[in-house]
Amino acid sequence: MKGNLILLVPVLLPLLAGGILAFGKTFPKKWRWRFVAAVCALELVFLLVAAGGAYELTLVRFNERLAFVLRPDGLSLLFGGLTGIMWLVSSVYSEKYFGHPKEGRTYEVFYLISIGVIAALCLSGNLVTMYMFYELMTLSVLPLVIEERTKEAIHAGFEFLFYSIAGAFLGLSGFFIFYSCGIPLEFVAGGHITAEIAGENKELLLVACFLGIVGFGSKAGMFPLHGWLPVAHPVAPAPASALLSGNVTKMGVLFIIRILYYIAGADFLRGSWVQYAFLALTMITILMGSVIASREKLLKKRLAYSTVSQVSYVLFGVALMHPVALLGALMHVVFHSAVKNTLFLSAGAIIHQTGITRADGLEGIGRRMPVTTWLYTFVSLTLIGIPPTSAFLSKWYLADGALSADIPVVRYLGPAILLISAVFTAAYLLPISVTGFLPGREENGQLKAYQREKEPWTMVIPMALLTVAAVGFGLFPNGLMHFLSGICSTVL
Amino acid sequence: MLTGLFFLPFLGAAALLAFRGKSAERFLGGVAQAVAVAEFLLALIFCIGTFCGKGYVCALDGIVGFGLHFTMDGFRAAYLVILTFMWMTALAFSPEYMKGHENTRRYYLFTLLTLGATAGVFLAADLMTMFIFFEVMSFTSYVWVAQEETRGALRAAETYLAVAVVGGMVMLMGLFLLHHMTGTLAMDGLREAYAAVKDRGMLLVAGCLMLFGFGAKAGMFPLHIWLPKAHPVAPAPASALLSGVLTKAGVFGIILLSGSVLSGEEDFGWIVLALGVVTMFLGALLGVFSIDLKRTFACSSVSQIGFILTGLGMMNLTKEAQLAANGAFLHMVNHSLIKLVLFLLAGVVYQNLHTLDFNEIKGFGRGKPFFLAAYTAGALAIGGVPLFSGYVSKTMLHEAIVAGSHERVGQLHHLLAASEWIFLLSGGMTVAYMLKVFFVLFVDEPSRTVKHHASKKYLSLPVKLLLGVPALLFALLGCFPGLLMQPLAKKAEPFFFGGGAVHELEKIHYFSFENLKGALISLGIGLFLYFVAVRRLLRRRKGNAAYYVNRIPAWLDLEDAVYRPVFVRLVPTLFTALVRPFDKLVTAKFFGQTLPFLLAVPCRLLDKLVEGLVSLLQNTVFAQVRPKEEKGMGISDTIAYAIGSILDAIAAFANRTVRKKNPITKSFVEACSSGEEKFSRTVRLVTRSVSYGLMLSCIGLLLTILYLLIG
Repeated sequence: MKGNLILLVPVLLPLLAGGILAFGKTFPKKWRWRFVAAVCALELVFLLVAAGGAYELTLVRFNERLAFVLRPDGLSLLFGGLTGIMWLVSSVYSEKYFGHPKEGRTYEVFYLISIGVIAALCLSGNLVTMYMFYELMTLSVLPLVIEERTKEAIHAGFEFLFYSIAGAFLGLSGFFIFYSCGIPLEFVAGGHITAEIAGENKELLLVACFLGIVGFGSKAGMFPLHGWLPVAHPVAPAPASALLSGNVTKMGVLFIIRILYYIAGADFLRGSWVQYAFLALTMITILMGSVIASREKLLKKRLAYSTVSQVSYVLFGVALMHPVALLGALMHVVFHSAVKNTLFLSAGAIIHQTGITRADGLEGIGRRMPVTTWLYTFVSLTLIGIPPTSAFLSKWYLADGALSADIPVVRYLGPAILLISAVFTAAYLLPISVTGFLPGREENGQLKAYQREKEPWTMVIPMALLTVAAVGFGLFPNGLMHFLSGICSTVL
Repeated sequence: MLTGLFFLPFLGAAALLAFRGKSAERFLGGVAQAVAVAEFLLALIFCIGTFCGKGYVCALDGIVGFGLHFTMDGFRAAYLVILTFMWMTALAFSPEYMKGHENTRRYYLFTLLTLGATAGVFLAADLMTMFIFFEVMSFTSYVWVAQEETRGALRAAETYLAVAVVGGMVMLMGLFLLHHMTGTLAMDGLREAYAAVKDRGMLLVAGCLMLFGFGAKAGMFPLHIWLPKAHPVAPAPASALLSGVLTKAGVFGIILLSGSVLSGEEDFGWIVLALGVVTMFLGALLGVFSIDLKRTFACSSVSQIGFILTGLGMMNLTKEAQLAANGAFLHMVNHSLIKLVLFLLAGVVYQNLHTLDFNEIKGFGRGKPFFLAAYTAGALAIGGVPLFSGYVSKTMLHEAIVAGSHERVGQLHHLLAASEWIFLLSGGMTVAYMLKVFFVLFVDEPSRTVKHHASKKYLSLPVKLLLGVPALLFALLGCFPGLLMQPLAKKAEPFFFGGGAVHELEKIHYFSFENLKGALISLGIGLFLYFVAVRRLLRRRKGNAAYYVNRIPAWLDLEDAVYRPVFVRLVPTLFTALVRPFDKLVTAKFFGQTLPFLLAVPCRLLDKLVEGLVSLLQNTVFAQVRPKEEKGMGISDTIAYAIGSILDAIAAFANRTVRKKNPITKSFVEACSSGEEKFSRTVRLVTRSVSYGLMLSCIGLLLTILYLLIG
């Protein structure tokens, strides 16, 4: 083991804490979630410290080219920090959501383990390390999906596994090609592959990149391997859905960015069939997700399809390989994460308070749960892209990037699809606010039965903070944009 | 300083939130009014400053990424004063109107928010800032339409929201394209920046996309659908603002398109003109047929926006562009103030009678002199009657069309001449529907509802004063156009031409016969239409009393007949049908069942390959030939039998001699024959295995030889 050990802290801390929780038989149930929240807070601090500095750590070295290495950069800081924040926020929310302390503690234990694994995933310095932690992430997140242990939950867990593993193996086969063609597996901003290095293997390397994109696109919910999202989200507990949707999907995005910009290099892929195919897949997904979401009646399933669509906005920006578009994509990573977490948490609050899971059963919810519904409305407007909220900016940069990247057809079709999808986004998000606040004269029977009881503040505060972030970043985006364009300038 | 203009209402809205509880509700109106008055005074100060030659600019860098930029010029100053005046009047009237209504806090809150957003739209110094405030305005004003929460209100609000969202998105697409073409959206220098753009086709596309977005808010055909639905259901003060100001925010954008972005682009001029003419005519036609007071005014708004659009279209189609610009501006100002008066009067009617149906409100205005005076001033102004302000603006617009048609020959000349006639006809229809309303309110025998609700007090003094000012203005401005209206238009003119140079306009003789002729033709058409068509076709007599019939069949509604079926059913269904296959292309079933099955087929094949080969050989080449059933006994059997018999004999002998006590009972013949059986089976198996092994090694040898031969 060689290098700065501080990188191990954010990886081991949650694992250790998870161990304490798992084996500490006398651990008071009441304090369980507070303990988790405290660990998450510490984790966030360490993660930021570790990812913020120029550290490097070699865990194991097998040979010249194969090693487990942690080497964070700006991208690690972005994705890791974002994940840490969401995990913390969600743990604060979870205490009241899960209500009375229950016997089993698998959820809490794996909640902690998964943040450790994801931290390692973000800090990874080469493909091998990243792949290993990616697979571990799939396994450590699985218990969160199947928490309910119902038949549907188990089934959804299997689907989650199927898609994740199928996707990861597709990607892995790509790595074998990289390896056998002698491409270094270290992440270097700008990538390794040039025309000379590729030589005769050009087509093979392009296939490898494409396999990686499709395979890891599975986690990011990109067509054709997006099927797990709409199945897993409705059955998982709301805070878990929030994290799956807001953050775990982003790990797929991170992996694709690493392959495209840190292994292959944008210059190698620009103008190749891989870029066109990738763009086509993302555009199909953007439209598909939002259209089907507008047809979906189950609230959490609707939000899941929304994620399918929105994460592909990010991938669309990644696929364009243009600095402006990439900036838009990275911004959308942040904004979508904040928005989607809030949406799922508010859906969870509604389910927790009223037990209603269908989107068309929520007439008058604004009267009963005004705070939650207002927060839902604000983040909905953000997601649609109504200025001056944040997602307007990311969409602006995405569209501007699409126009500037000057790719035939995509040039005009891309922005048009973004906007058509935005209209559908409005169509699936706004009716809940509209009928929620303006139910008309008729009282909703289902809600009538619900005795008005305020949402606990530990549930409201996390949502409120995220909403403030989602709207506030729209008004004052400069700091964030400066940081993100720093990342973009290193790779493009 | 300029930020104060849009920030003050936002602060006021925040202050409203501080008043909680039922008892605080009566203060809400007061707070909102105070904010509106302060806003008006602030706007007035800026206006005076601007007219004295001062310039104001303001930039909030870094907000929303691009920074917000504001500026002030003659047009903005003049229109902001009108805008804030309208808000002030509407809010002054609101407490009266909202008495007994629910959710007043919501109403005041969103009224102030919309004021701030609208002020932001008109102050914006770049298209981005404008777009941001435009979107905020769209969403906050939505609450106005939905305020009453009746079925009709919710339906209208739905339409309003849909038009706003779609319009906003289409406009954003246009904005993307514009920004991409020049990299600048600042209004200062917009004209020069876009004049240099090479790709005129794409510029036109971008312009049309923007036109769609602005037109949706302005109420331009075919996006006017929300107006006639939203106005009747919104609270009257909100209707006045929706109609008088919010539509103008759309017009404000179209001015930028016609005057700056696409200045001199004839194609764009034709598009705007065509849409303007259709809007003008259709709105007026609907107005004539309407039998609902606010709906009539709403249709009238659509029509008047058409007049303004006609002027904006003519800006690119004639050398007398200034005439068109001035006319459009003055008509904007006129229409805002006229609609303020008219909608508030409609509010008075609704407040007293709780209905707006012509048959119910007949005769309401009888014995109300102020009501009569205010309505008549508004009607005369909007009808374009000489000596009233509407005449001046309409004359300018008319002159612009005439000038345009004189500049052209052939088909284009005829097109513009036709537009001129539609212009005059629409003016006539305006007169006709205002006359219709006049007769309903002041001449017809009072209906039972009116008699029942005969209340004397119908407007408070401040509101009367605030309404009296514009009503007087109509006459004052109309009487001295050269003195008051033309200088105002001159102040606003630079904005219409992207801040470009302004030429002195030759003096217009407003009251020359040439100019009066147009107005008189319109008036004539109007009187003819009213007395011949409207009174005969749309008015029936039942005994002594007249009643009005709705001649427009219910199915003839663009929204219900086309938009809703298409955009609520058809388009989503089509899109779903389009994308559903993608969603289901790769499903979990694929991973769980299909893929394993597909993989299992070759695997099973491989698994059974050798065994299968063997059994194939066994059943074909090496088919077991059943040994022939031996007749009698074979040699080994004979030997076994012999040995068995001998052993049996020995045993029998032993039994008799040695083992008398326990004799041997078993037969050795049997034992020997079964042993023989076992032995011969084993021999058979060994032979076969050896032969099998031999066969395989033969195959191996053969392959080796083959390899050697080929290799």
